[in-house]
Amino acid sequence: MSDKKEKQEIIVTGFGGQGIILAGRIIGMAAALRDDKESTLVQSYGPESRGGACCAQVVISNTIIQYPYITTPDILACMSQSAYEKYYRSLKPGGFLLTDKDLVIPQDDRLCFAIPATRMAEELGRKMMANIIMVGFTTAVTNLVTKEAALFAVTSSVPKGTEKMNTKAFNLGFDYGLSKLKGLEKRAGGQTGAKNEA
Amino acid sequence: MENYKIVLFLCNWGPHGAFQALQEDGYKIPGEIKMIRIPCTGRISKALLFKAFEMGADGVALAGCAPGACRYGSGTYNAIKNTEDTREIIEVLGLGRERLRLATFLPDDVDPLKEFLSDFVADIKALGKSPIVSATSKGDFPEESFTESGQELLAMAPATTAETIRKIIEKHDAYACQDCGKCTSSCPLALCGKDFSPRTLVGSLIAGEVDSENVKNNIWSCLTCGTCYERCPSEVNFPLLIQDLRSVLFKRKESHQTHGGFFHSLMRSMASPGLRQKRWKDLPSAIKTDPESKTLFYGGCAPYFDLFFRNHQQVKNANVLNDALRLLNFFDVTPRILENERCCGHDLLWSGDRQNFINIAKLNCDYLNSLGIEEMITACPECYKTFAQTYKENGIELNFKVTHLYEFLDTELERGAVTIENPDITFTYQDSCRLNSLEDVRDLPRKLIRRFSNGNFVEMQNNGSTALCCGNSAWIGCDAFSKALQVKRLTQGRNTQSDVMLTSCGKCRIHLGCAMEDPFSGDKLKMELVDLTSVIADHVRWE
Repeated sequence: MSDKKEKQEIIVTGFGGQGIILAGRIIGMAAALRDDKESTLVQSYGPESRGGACCAQVVISNTIIQYPYITTPDILACMSQSAYEKYYRSLKPGGFLLTDKDLVIPQDDRLCFAIPATRMAEELGRKMMANIIMVGFTTAVTNLVTKEAALFAVTSSVPKGTEKMNTKAFNLGFDYGLSKLKGLEKRAGGQTGAKNEA
Repeated sequence: MENYKIVLFLCNWGPHGAFQALQEDGYKIPGEIKMIRIPCTGRISKALLFKAFEMGADGVALAGCAPGACRYGSGTYNAIKNTEDTREIIEVLGLGRERLRLATFLPDDVDPLKEFLSDFVADIKALGKSPIVSATSKGDFPEESFTESGQELLAMAPATTAETIRKIIEKHDAYACQDCGKCTSSCPLALCGKDFSPRTLVGSLIAGEVDSENVKNNIWSCLTCGTCYERCPSEVNFPLLIQDLRSVLFKRKESHQTHGGFFHSLMRSMASPGLRQKRWKDLPSAIKTDPESKTLFYGGCAPYFDLFFRNHQQVKNANVLNDALRLLNFFDVTPRILENERCCGHDLLWSGDRQNFINIAKLNCDYLNSLGIEEMITACPECYKTFAQTYKENGIELNFKVTHLYEFLDTELERGAVTIENPDITFTYQDSCRLNSLEDVRDLPRKLIRRFSNGNFVEMQNNGSTALCCGNSAWIGCDAFSKALQVKRLTQGRNTQSDVMLTSCGKCRIHLGCAMEDPFSGDKLKMELVDLTSVIADHVRWE
């Protein structure tokens, strides 16, 4: 997908402390360091990054980026309700909306890719890895960066010694994303359960 | 010329008169026919009918009295049912139902009997020889295919029994018994009041009392459920000890088979290399399979159980296989299935017939290894344990991975984006002894149940490592205590106030379902038994 469109704009948003900025950084790094593209990151400073609605704006492009701020994103990843409510109207038509299933209640019926990232991270034993799960999920669903690039960016951004755990978290999110796409395809084909045979 | 063998079971009353009249007329009975005079066709059970095929018969005819003319009232009616069931079973087995026939004659029906006999002989000759190789004429496989202890067991002559028993005790280190009695006090069978004690049994064996009636009965009574092994502080693997002891007793032609030994005959027959079964003939067309797939689905003997017990409630195990296949399809796996799938040999081994277990295991190993598959998925706890563990223990190596369906489902559901809708009823779960004995899979059923039960899951009083057995294993030793155990288990299930008892094993459903047919207290025991696989197949959804 990244080849089709010259420029992609992504907003990752949620509470400060969820690792929103790091998630944005990883996606940008993956594009710039491994996928041979340009990328920029604008991140919230001040009170937001310490608990309020925090936001990372990432632009990925095949050519030089002239302006790093985003008003209408192609991809919006929300990890809190307040962040969702602040940004969801700005998403481009046909853009991807990704949410944390347990933390965000959608306000309209637009197609929403939801993953219980925080719950999955808790089950994994590290709640703080919800952001990495979200990165994996975003990678699988949007095809924004390649899996290899994203994994490289994950392992080189996280603290030493946690690479293995973070790779696992990334793969959890990635597999969930693939499974989600498969499910959508199946539903579109009229198959919802194992027994509704045409 | 081929030497055909046809067994004619001839009722003493109506047809025998006709048969005698034929002989008196000077009619030469075809040489292929071996006549066996019986008191009534109703007494020829499915096991006896099939036994003839197991022993090498090419055709079996049952000649009885016309309905209404039966000396004992219901004999012909029973014969009709037994014949029908057995005919369907030998059809699936690939012999062809035409090899078994029931006909009725009055004493005057001389010509019809003559015609019947000559027609039957001609038909059997047209069908050719039976593909079943009788167990007695089967050549032994080369000795190197056995493990050391297996070879010893097979080579043993009755005279050296005491020595072999000593070796078995040594092998399982039963000398380490501390006489603490934890085994007996946790044994579900002993707790039902049966005169059975693992502790006493081990003590008596060490004392060299293998020939006492009590010891022998105890060896056959054990359910091999493994609760004692779980508890034993010296880690004596009592189930495997029993398995070896049974091979010794079996060599001396002692066994306690249920259902007339039908299932053991069936499984031994499956050790015939020339057999071409039709296991999947009733597969719904909506299920997708692929003969080139690297993933094999192994169904197990459910289709045979269904046919054998088809006049009993609740036994529809083949549906579970279909549900398992639907689930595989749901997750985009199009598996290979084998029409000529053989029994894994579990029941033969656990009932002491080690020789035929090895025969069937060798056949399976050669065949399955030649398919070029990477993974076998099965929903049968016994197939899983036998292929994944027992084959290796007996020196038979498979070149693919063996997976239980629950492992597959767990991995797939873990990926997410799939939900199992809450069926909105309450559940309890009957453990499978074979899954409980394997550490990799013992927690999986509950993990799967918790994915959809949403708090509607209630454990029975005995669960997990203390779970109660369904009452029988390996089709041996069914008695009043088996029933008592089943009643106890079902009562525990009813006490949870659950709507449904989930199971993982078809035999649990057969045995617990049998107890529910009790004419006096059946209503107090009735409970819906549903396989976990079917519940998941019914309620799994893409999000």
